[in-house]
Amino acid sequence: MQQSLIQALGIINCAILKRVKDGQFQVIHCSQDWFYSIAPEAIDRERFEFAGHSAYLDDFFIDAEEFWQTGKEGQIHSGIWSEQSKDKLLRLEALAAISDGESYLVINNLEGEYQKQQQTLQAARELLISNDKVLAQHEYIHERLDQVLRENQTLQSLQKPIQRVIENADFGVVITDAQLNVITQNPNSYTVFETSDLPLEVSPFEKLMELFKNQCAEFERVIGTSSRWHGELFWHNPPYSSKWLKLALYPVTDENQNLQHWIFIFSDVSRVKYLLQRNEKLNLYDNVTNLPNRQFFWQKLEYQIEKAKAFFIVYLDVKHFKQINELHGHQAGDQILVTLAERIQQCISTTDLCARVGGNEFGIILTDCKEQNDCIEVANRLIEAMEPPFYTASKQKVQIGLNLGAAHFPSDASDSEELMKFADLAMFSAKKEDKSKLCFYSKELKEASRYRLELESALKKAISDNQFELYLQPIVDLSTGKVAKAEALIRWRSADGNLTSPDKFIPIAEQTGLIVPIGKWVISRATEMLKVIMQYQPDLKISVNLSPRQVADRHLFDFVTQAINHSGVPPKNLELELTEGVLIDNYDKVKHLLDQVREIGISTSIDDFGTGYSSLSYLQKLPIDNLKIDRSFIIDLEQNENDKAIILAVIAMAHSLKLGVIAEGVENQYQADFLLENKCNIAQGYLFSRPLPLSEFCELLLAEKHSSQN
Amino acid sequence: MFQKKICLLGPSGVGKTSLVKQFVEGIFSEKYLTTIGVKIDKKLVDLAVDQVQLMIWDLEGIDRYCGFQPKYLRGASAYAIVTDHTRSQSLVEAMEIHRMVREVSDIPAILIINKSDLDVAWHWTESELNGYSKEFIRSFSTSAKTGDQVEEMFKFIAQLTLN
Repeated sequence: MQQSLIQALGIINCAILKRVKDGQFQVIHCSQDWFYSIAPEAIDRERFEFAGHSAYLDDFFIDAEEFWQTGKEGQIHSGIWSEQSKDKLLRLEALAAISDGESYLVINNLEGEYQKQQQTLQAARELLISNDKVLAQHEYIHERLDQVLRENQTLQSLQKPIQRVIENADFGVVITDAQLNVITQNPNSYTVFETSDLPLEVSPFEKLMELFKNQCAEFERVIGTSSRWHGELFWHNPPYSSKWLKLALYPVTDENQNLQHWIFIFSDVSRVKYLLQRNEKLNLYDNVTNLPNRQFFWQKLEYQIEKAKAFFIVYLDVKHFKQINELHGHQAGDQILVTLAERIQQCISTTDLCARVGGNEFGIILTDCKEQNDCIEVANRLIEAMEPPFYTASKQKVQIGLNLGAAHFPSDASDSEELMKFADLAMFSAKKEDKSKLCFYSKELKEASRYRLELESALKKAISDNQFELYLQPIVDLSTGKVAKAEALIRWRSADGNLTSPDKFIPIAEQTGLIVPIGKWVISRATEMLKVIMQYQPDLKISVNLSPRQVADRHLFDFVTQAINHSGVPPKNLELELTEGVLIDNYDKVKHLLDQVREIGISTSIDDFGTGYSSLSYLQKLPIDNLKIDRSFIIDLEQNENDKAIILAVIAMAHSLKLGVIAEGVENQYQADFLLENKCNIAQGYLFSRPLPLSEFCELLLAEKHSSQN
Repeated sequence: MFQKKICLLGPSGVGKTSLVKQFVEGIFSEKYLTTIGVKIDKKLVDLAVDQVQLMIWDLEGIDRYCGFQPKYLRGASAYAIVTDHTRSQSLVEAMEIHRMVREVSDIPAILIINKSDLDVAWHWTESELNGYSKEFIRSFSTSAKTGDQVEEMFKFIAQLTLN
């Protein structure tokens, strides 16, 4: 290549060498002397061999030689390296190329570009480090406080080291009671707001709450539902100062899931913001996912509203992300968010906008969606896109579910704040489902949300006021007509004497986690009842239902053991019932639990069998004792041949796996006869008895005993 | 005299470049300047019975902007993973880097906990730290600023490359 042409093309600060043969090169172009500091052997030589002055280049030659040997057109890069010449530090990158059958080595001097790249990376990395520090401090203090506050209901017993950490923390910590009355504010919370604890001053907490309320559409939902939240607030205090604050708030509940405290942790992150502002891209983009950030999202939302054309916004929340972070670590969590962001972007059009608006929350503006169906289509694409598993760097498989809430402009709301608030509310409604789901905002949803909150608070009261009752439904041996065992079923009788159906309150209890204390009460009560019942029939079993949330509770086995020990009943008189869904969703956890209970002699049943995804391999691998045929197959038995076939298949499967089989919901003699004929001789249902209070159940046992004696 | 290649790896901002600068040139700068790519420095280390010319490959911090590049370890006789005891996350990241290296190489490794001149601000307990340290031949608590343990650490690595 002509020197003049090279200069004309602007390729000025590089050395171009032609590889003449193995290890031998010819200088074609060399603009400046720096090249000779790494290859002095090339001075005044038409052809030369590198004499090993650059260790990095020598290492690159291993790859380059391999590449040149292939003879294929293309190039490979060495990556950037720094090389000290006599008077300056060189920033270089080499590339090995093949063009028109000739092999070349090009060494670029990247002096200018290196500096630019370094400036950008510098800002980004300083930001990462600052963020890391803030997050680590927040997480640490939150974990310790949460633990202490759960174990001790008062702050008097705060351990000294934690007290010291709070007192000396370089971030604000406020702890309140459940009604948001301040219990303690650390010295730094005053420093952040540049105030003092004099009586006339507005307290840091009041200022914080004002900012939170005014700046976050999620405020009502977060406080109303005792949810965790973290994000940023802007505090403007003219004419003196303005600050960016990073706020994290955490509810602390007792073992009955009653809210006891709130912990507010906040830091001045103005420096982080300053670093962001040094780089325009970082200022409006999230540095984990590279998606637009919350500020960008609000700007775009306002802009979209100004255009006055119909559109949808979707609030997307990743299900159980907290557990993912706890299980795999924050770095793995971040990596999952990056992949998730990529998958989201593949599902939306280029005119739509997806932003990261919170820790595991994303906002999407669907500018082309005019009708609900369009929005549903996008949501289905998003849900499908999350189905393939995600993998952490250590190759752990992670499954992701989505809670999606959508609101429409202008029919649901015509200002940005309301729109976000409504989409957030709709998203919260989608959280009730185990699987990924989209919910649209509606007035009914708002009403349902209010009803749910009322029911939730009534349930909490029911737990503390002991308003639950446990009934026993006899499970009968069809061949003898005698009670073989009983299923414990919960009833809720509120103060006014009304009974609320379990179908209504169990789903709410499951979503809110109240099922854990309720489930514990059921287990305790069932073991107490067993003690009474055994006086009538010593070998009678009581089966107790376990919900998915209970199974996920790592203290469950300890609690069951405790209850058995406390009541003194033999473990073999207790049976646990799980649904098929629980088996599939939590296989490892369930296997561990079932192994533990089997070891101490508790038996297990699979409830509602046939309604879920039944896998023969699960049934073989897990220590299960019985299958319970779901009532939905029994009801239409007389008319429905398919149901008959399914029942026969389940019975055959149970027998071949050497499992017991129990039919639920038997209401007439035809059903009982069919089951007995086909070797299912254990059943429960209204044909035999409705669920009974303990006293009536004991009477039934007594009557049976008398009749057999006569 | 032997010539041996060693690599310094770790998250960004933990002080890898400062450790090399302190060891090779005896200087320290408070200003943080992020490294891009690789910088190789050489220093002759006198050991009791021999001399080793250490070729220290100071690698760019591994984070979301720069991934781990196994090729840089080619020909290395040992490596050091550097962390910063003012940042909890740096140890988590360091262990992840160590795990990635272990997938491609079984050369000896040491753990460096840097910035010992600053107060400890991470929350790892002694037993947690011991658990992590067990995966390395030895761990050093260093300060690139004061030079504390820097010379000893590089001498130890030099010795390690001869074993």
